[in-house]
Amino acid sequence: MSLLEVTDLAVAAGSLQLVDGVTLDVRPGEVVALVGESGSGKSLTALSVIGLLADSLRITRGSIRFDGVPVHGAGGQDMADLRGNGLAMIFQEPVSSLNPLMPIGAQVAESLIVHGRASAADAAQQAVRMLGRVGIPDPERRAHQLPAELSGGMCQRVMIAAALISRPRLLIADEPTTALDVTIQAQILDLIRDLAEEEGTAVLMITHDMGIVAEMADRVCVMYGGRVVEQGDVHDIFRQPRHPYTAMLLRTIPRLDHPPKQELFAIPGNVPSPRNWPQGCRFKTRCDRATAQCDATPALSEGAHRVACFHPLSEGMT
Amino acid sequence: MTALLELQDLKVHFPGRGGRSAPVTRAVDGVSLTIHQGETVAVVGESGCGKSTTGNAALGLAPVTGGRILFEGRDLATLRPAERRALWQQMQVVFQDPVSALNPRMSIARSIAEPLVINGWPADKVRARVDELMELVGLNPDQRDRRPTALSGGQRQRVVIARALALSPKLVICDEPVSALDVSIQSQILNLLLRLQRDLGLSYLFISHDLSVVRHIADRVCVMYLGIVVEEGPVTEVFAHPHHPYTRALISAIPRPDVSRRDRGSRILLKGDLPSPLNPPPGCPFSTRCPKAMPECSAARPPLEQIGKDRQVRCIAPD
Repeated sequence: MSLLEVTDLAVAAGSLQLVDGVTLDVRPGEVVALVGESGSGKSLTALSVIGLLADSLRITRGSIRFDGVPVHGAGGQDMADLRGNGLAMIFQEPVSSLNPLMPIGAQVAESLIVHGRASAADAAQQAVRMLGRVGIPDPERRAHQLPAELSGGMCQRVMIAAALISRPRLLIADEPTTALDVTIQAQILDLIRDLAEEEGTAVLMITHDMGIVAEMADRVCVMYGGRVVEQGDVHDIFRQPRHPYTAMLLRTIPRLDHPPKQELFAIPGNVPSPRNWPQGCRFKTRCDRATAQCDATPALSEGAHRVACFHPLSEGMT
Repeated sequence: MTALLELQDLKVHFPGRGGRSAPVTRAVDGVSLTIHQGETVAVVGESGCGKSTTGNAALGLAPVTGGRILFEGRDLATLRPAERRALWQQMQVVFQDPVSALNPRMSIARSIAEPLVINGWPADKVRARVDELMELVGLNPDQRDRRPTALSGGQRQRVVIARALALSPKLVICDEPVSALDVSIQSQILNLLLRLQRDLGLSYLFISHDLSVVRHIADRVCVMYLGIVVEEGPVTEVFAHPHHPYTRALISAIPRPDVSRRDRGSRILLKGDLPSPLNPPPGCPFSTRCPKAMPECSAARPPLEQIGKDRQVRCIAPD
């Protein structure tokens, strides 16, 4: 039984399609990475799940179910309950995601109070405990400080504390470490993994970094041009990628075990913007396996390792 | 062989707000490095380590508080303004964000031509040179009249590189040149930089926080922490056998696209945050986070010492 089930999701801004038929699922307790480059639709998919799409955007097709209950279409109080009880999200920019005028302890406690889960005094105590758990030193004193008094890494810990205090069953993390330094990134990734394991929280991790995917994810969902092009177990995706885009993306990353100063493998062309998506397979203009057949849209195959391609790499080819 | 660019004990200190008694930010506090012709020297480190300020100082974009900047053996500080301007033509820069580096109202040809026009090139020569530069960086000269907004991020960075090369510089300072680009575009631009270096004999001062990229493109690497160099040496040796505990932690923190490395034991997790450059810890600035720190570490800043043939490390108990 899936915790989150997204089926054929489409999002548009007016007549412009931005997400075009995304299907993915997250099971209880697992970490699923949603990978893609700019314009792939990965963040819009996440925002659709948590009901935070901008007013100019509309879900035009598909369904989102959380714990079997439809989310899309849930308005007002239902959505607020869902965010209080089942779903939480953390964003890339911790500093701009926090209220600059509110002490951090109060921000962490807020969701407990808003959802009537604790009295103000009890919520404040729980917030201090939670701040301690995410590694804020001296949490009693820090709880009274404003975000501006904390570093970026500390602010990201505060956001994680605020997201996890209501014990969500699914945490959506949208590029949670992209704005952080690499040694701080390592701390935050470890923290997310430890807390998720201890609490049994499932994580939908949105990232463009294949290194983070390899270290964090149980399963991977690769997006390109508003669609899912490949989905499967993290080991299968890295060892035997089947979509040409996934395979090329993995080859293009500079690696520490490669000889330096050699030409890197490069994917030709540019990442197309939604205005310029080609007909049919959206990767065909950059793909060395494309044929006339690719003018039609490939469907995502069934099974554990899914691929949307007419000419996938066969297993064992890479 | 004379060095192309040599920084000797470079210091950039910014006065604090609040008058003479305010604390000084020692953004760069005694950095020495040497770049030879055709060589790439990378400066790596986290935010606030002074890597960008080092590059800016070499370009004359940050005030030099102490030390010397030598270009082909000539001290920039002793040159007359006209001589210095002529010398800066030899030293160009590519910044991280190609969007803000290009005037959105100018055609890309005009942007590329600007340094030529300023230097009084005749119009016909300018046009030919712009076409040549566009081809050099992999742009189609047919696109010369387009605005930057009509281009993708990777193409815009090619325009910025073409403009940097217009006056045939010897050194290009690249400050996070691929950090704002999509993963599938980064390798195109890195390949371009490598090819230009091979074909034109360029030297790069390559400033980056991305160690995988640095490992790939640089000959030598200089690791900075809070304004000082903690380790320096050939890139393959430093990555294979880091001597400074900070370098070790930095390299081990890189998320690798390798599923066989999922055990967590291999990673050195540093405690705590980067200290503020306004108020760096006494002695070794890394001592507050160092897994091997001893009481002596906070007594005095360790000197940068030679290890082996051509490596240096600033640690009293290097690995």
